[in-house]
Amino acid sequence: MTAPAALRPTGSPLRRLPALVAYVPRACLPRRRLAVLALPCATILASGLLARAVDDRAVRAFTDVAGLGIFGLAMPLGTLVIGDAVLGAEVRSGTLSFTWLTPVRFWELALARWLGGWLVALCTLVPSAALAAVLAGASSLVGPVVVATAASAAAHIALFVLIGALTRRAAVWSLAIVFVIERLLGAVLSGIAQLSPSWQGQAAFVGIGDVTGVRARSGIPEGWDAVVRLGLLTVVWLAVATFGLRRLQLTGARD
Amino acid sequence: MTPTSPPALDPAFVPDATVVVDDVSVWFGQKVALSELSCSFGPGVTGLLGPNGAGKTTLMRAMCGLIPPRRGHVTVLGHDPRGHRDVQSRVALVPEEDAVPEALTARQLVRYSATLNGVTDAGAVERSLAEVSLTDVADRRLGGFSKGMRQRAKVAAALVTDPEVLVLDEPLNGADPVQRVALIELFQQLGAAGRTVVVSSHVLHEVERLAARIIVVVHGRLAAAGDHRSIRDAMSDRPRRVLLRSDDDRRLATGLLGLDQVVAVELGEGGVTISTGNAGELALALPNLSRQVGVRLREVRALDASLDSVFADLTNR
Repeated sequence: MTAPAALRPTGSPLRRLPALVAYVPRACLPRRRLAVLALPCATILASGLLARAVDDRAVRAFTDVAGLGIFGLAMPLGTLVIGDAVLGAEVRSGTLSFTWLTPVRFWELALARWLGGWLVALCTLVPSAALAAVLAGASSLVGPVVVATAASAAAHIALFVLIGALTRRAAVWSLAIVFVIERLLGAVLSGIAQLSPSWQGQAAFVGIGDVTGVRARSGIPEGWDAVVRLGLLTVVWLAVATFGLRRLQLTGARD
Repeated sequence: MTPTSPPALDPAFVPDATVVVDDVSVWFGQKVALSELSCSFGPGVTGLLGPNGAGKTTLMRAMCGLIPPRRGHVTVLGHDPRGHRDVQSRVALVPEEDAVPEALTARQLVRYSATLNGVTDAGAVERSLAEVSLTDVADRRLGGFSKGMRQRAKVAAALVTDPEVLVLDEPLNGADPVQRVALIELFQQLGAAGRTVVVSSHVLHEVERLAARIIVVVHGRLAAAGDHRSIRDAMSDRPRRVLLRSDDDRRLATGLLGLDQVVAVELGEGGVTISTGNAGELALALPNLSRQVGVRLREVRALDASLDSVFADLTNR
């Protein structure tokens, strides 16, 4: 048995992090996946147009339509496309080994994949939501919708990074969690809604927008409290994802 | 827990080991990929030989830390490759899988590997690309590369870190003959320079050209280890079945019964099927026999000469 060899310095995380984050839009999101991402963006814009058609005050109409169209459908789907791409798809295809087989710490990997994915969401989904508010004629809600979509995207992508670190069938599990657990169970159980980026995002939007006569789902925090809740969820899910990466088995595609 | 010291004279082990595989078992559900496998690797080129599905890829992934052993231990340079992240800067794997980040260019992939591994030498990226003759196409996306070019890009990404342990899973797949020779020379140079190079293949003659030391894995177990001569001897000494066809099979069968190398003779409609304990000597004796008995040989075909059957036989020894 040989004695453990001294290992050379491997550089600081600060030097590696930009490369890790830049890898996400360059390598994880090829054109095909970006084309798929255009679909939820279009749904968000359509929500804005649809709100115009609703026979109500623009602000109230957009709040109602955004609640379902943006936070209930487009954001979960859009962040799923991004969140699965940043980790789950790489685990499935086998390309994660290019990053895993480096001295990068697992927390760096989880953080960088989340951050890269979130930046993509900030450049695609969030501007679409802002534009939707303008299209709906509810310009006063641009700020609230930007904050709420940014916060819910952060939490959703962290959730999908966590799922990618725990299972090879990340896309299937992510879909099941979004639609079965978040939307269906979350609609009737406050405990689940409190952990749901969709419901929390909607509550953040409604609370910050403070539209007269519109209330968020009962039993969960609203406005900035919801934003803080989403921030906490993001941190916790990334921490668990770090442990998941530590236990990850990168088997070959045939295993 | 410290792995036990391997026996000194066992050909599966080397005295100056950089990678030690100690009683490693890996299974996926009901499928056993590696079973109580122990061996070690040291400086120089070692060939890892085995049929498809033998467990070579799993062993290589376990050696790099991508797969945790369910039982046993792997140590690389004295460290657990899963528990000690810094050891990854001294190990590099070229996976067999065709998967590459297709949107990246070859240069971007190599630079990414260099940055994450803390390589500060500014010229390292270009040197690595040049070593695998990819400089001219370094700015093309990997998605447009052929399988052989992708393999070379992965080799470049591995070499840029100047690894002490280089694990190559079927690195010659898809390479054209010229590149094959160049890559073999490159791996041999790295081995001669004191790097631990482990190369897997299911083609015996390919491994023979590459490596002086060979480890044979079959059904997840260590089947044989040693230099290529001892491995080939182990394979050629096994009984083989050979089909012979001639213009007079009956007379040929009678003559074959008198040969020492022939264990059994079976005369059928398709020719004469014989079992031999020494295929090499039989090949030398057959022309004389055909002259002696006055028959013209039309076909001599080994019925079980595939590498899989040879490997299967090795495991049953």
